[in-house]
Amino acid sequence: MSKATNKRHLISFVEPKSPISEAYRALRTNIDFSSVDDNIQVIMTTSASPGEGKSTTISNLAVVYAQADKKVILIDSDMRKPTMHHTFGVSNRKGLSSILSRQCEINEAVQITDVPNLSVITSGPIPPNPSEMVASQRMSALIEELRKMFDIVLIDTPPTLAVTDAQIVSTKCDGALLVLDSGKVKRDMVIKAKQQLTQVNAKILGVVLNNVKQKNGDGYYYYYYSNAEN
Amino acid sequence: MELELRDYVQIILKRKWMIVAIVLICSMAAGLYSYFMIKPVYQATTKIVVNRTATDASGDDLNLNEVNANLRLIDTYKEIIKTPAIMEVVAKQHPEFNMLADDLVKKVKVNSVNNTQVMTLVVQDLSYEKAAKVVNAISLVFKEQIPTIFNVKNVTILNLADIQPAKEPVPVNAKVKLNVILAFVVSLIAAVGIAFLMDYLDDTIKTEADVRRYLELPTLGHIARMDNPEMGQDQAKKALKVKAGEVNV
Repeated sequence: MSKATNKRHLISFVEPKSPISEAYRALRTNIDFSSVDDNIQVIMTTSASPGEGKSTTISNLAVVYAQADKKVILIDSDMRKPTMHHTFGVSNRKGLSSILSRQCEINEAVQITDVPNLSVITSGPIPPNPSEMVASQRMSALIEELRKMFDIVLIDTPPTLAVTDAQIVSTKCDGALLVLDSGKVKRDMVIKAKQQLTQVNAKILGVVLNNVKQKNGDGYYYYYYSNAEN
Repeated sequence: MELELRDYVQIILKRKWMIVAIVLICSMAAGLYSYFMIKPVYQATTKIVVNRTATDASGDDLNLNEVNANLRLIDTYKEIIKTPAIMEVVAKQHPEFNMLADDLVKKVKVNSVNNTQVMTLVVQDLSYEKAAKVVNAISLVFKEQIPTIFNVKNVTILNLADIQPAKEPVPVNAKVKLNVILAFVVSLIAAVGIAFLMDYLDDTIKTEADVRRYLELPTLGHIARMDNPEMGQDQAKKALKVKAGEVNV
């Protein structure tokens, strides 16, 4: 994949004024206000099935948080099909798997990106046992460490129905976003995904409806939307 | 889940291209089929008038009872024509038709115009000439044979079918327009039905209302579909294809 096309994943960075970027900003606002008492600092995205837009959503969310002058770290915990290094055009030689397997320190794995205030930890070399790795004490310790260093910690995870990783990671997060590819994903699958997350007492902040069909004359709906919910 | 009128319209509009495609294809198929595939069938008719008074020679005594009796008689004649008694003779006299009495019975239709003494014989065939010849033969034989059956001579042939008509005969079954209109209406109903069925069977989550109903979770964000920079290459290609298909159908 060429760098140019991958850059297009980051619409909120490339076209910050587009209605879609605005939709991500609205998502950011909604997350900030979705929980009054708890401080939501560590957020993960997951979905029922692959290809629903988890990585795209969290990358853009990271960008809009960074644009709000927050120090943001984005972790690619999808060690089965990592994409973050493609999206941000960074190296994947050292990453999450390197930290968890004690091959490098946190500082070495944190990479800065073209987006100001936004750093990423890529997945690192693909390990044989991703579930055990994200379940480790060291993963918890890593998140605690990052909580101190950054304002917002965002974690991308694999789909829930495929592997258990997302369930494990969700226990270490303040909140989870369930990304739904609207019109594609079956009702039952999402309900099952939700059950899996609630079983481990994960806090599901809410749903992000992705790929919503844009109707004619709905152009300003997304601007309007940010005030409509809650 | 209650559906409102607007929802119905929405469902139809959502699949309007599918509906249009189905209707177009069906109408065109019906049109082509009826234009090329159906062999033209021609029809020839003769008219026969039944009048008992002609033989009774009671002249001016044409009262209502007479007329009624004639009408009853027509009903009888209608059945008589369709019996082997007549048809055997026709088949025997005209071996060139190459038809048995049974075939002839099936081929001929006898109608009487309501409350008149006029009877109409109709024969349909792939060739107009043959239809005319057959119907003429039946009429003539009937006129010949009826005195031997009823002992009355009260059948007059009003007109025979024209074997060589001045105008080119028009096939009776090549109703292309009618077929197309029928196909249009039927396929439209079917297509709309399919659209509703597809919508009913579609159990994907599409709207915020779906999310609330099935997941009991709030919807925090709507990310619109684009044309389509934020997707991966493969997905973008797929999306473009779908888009193109939707527009072009």
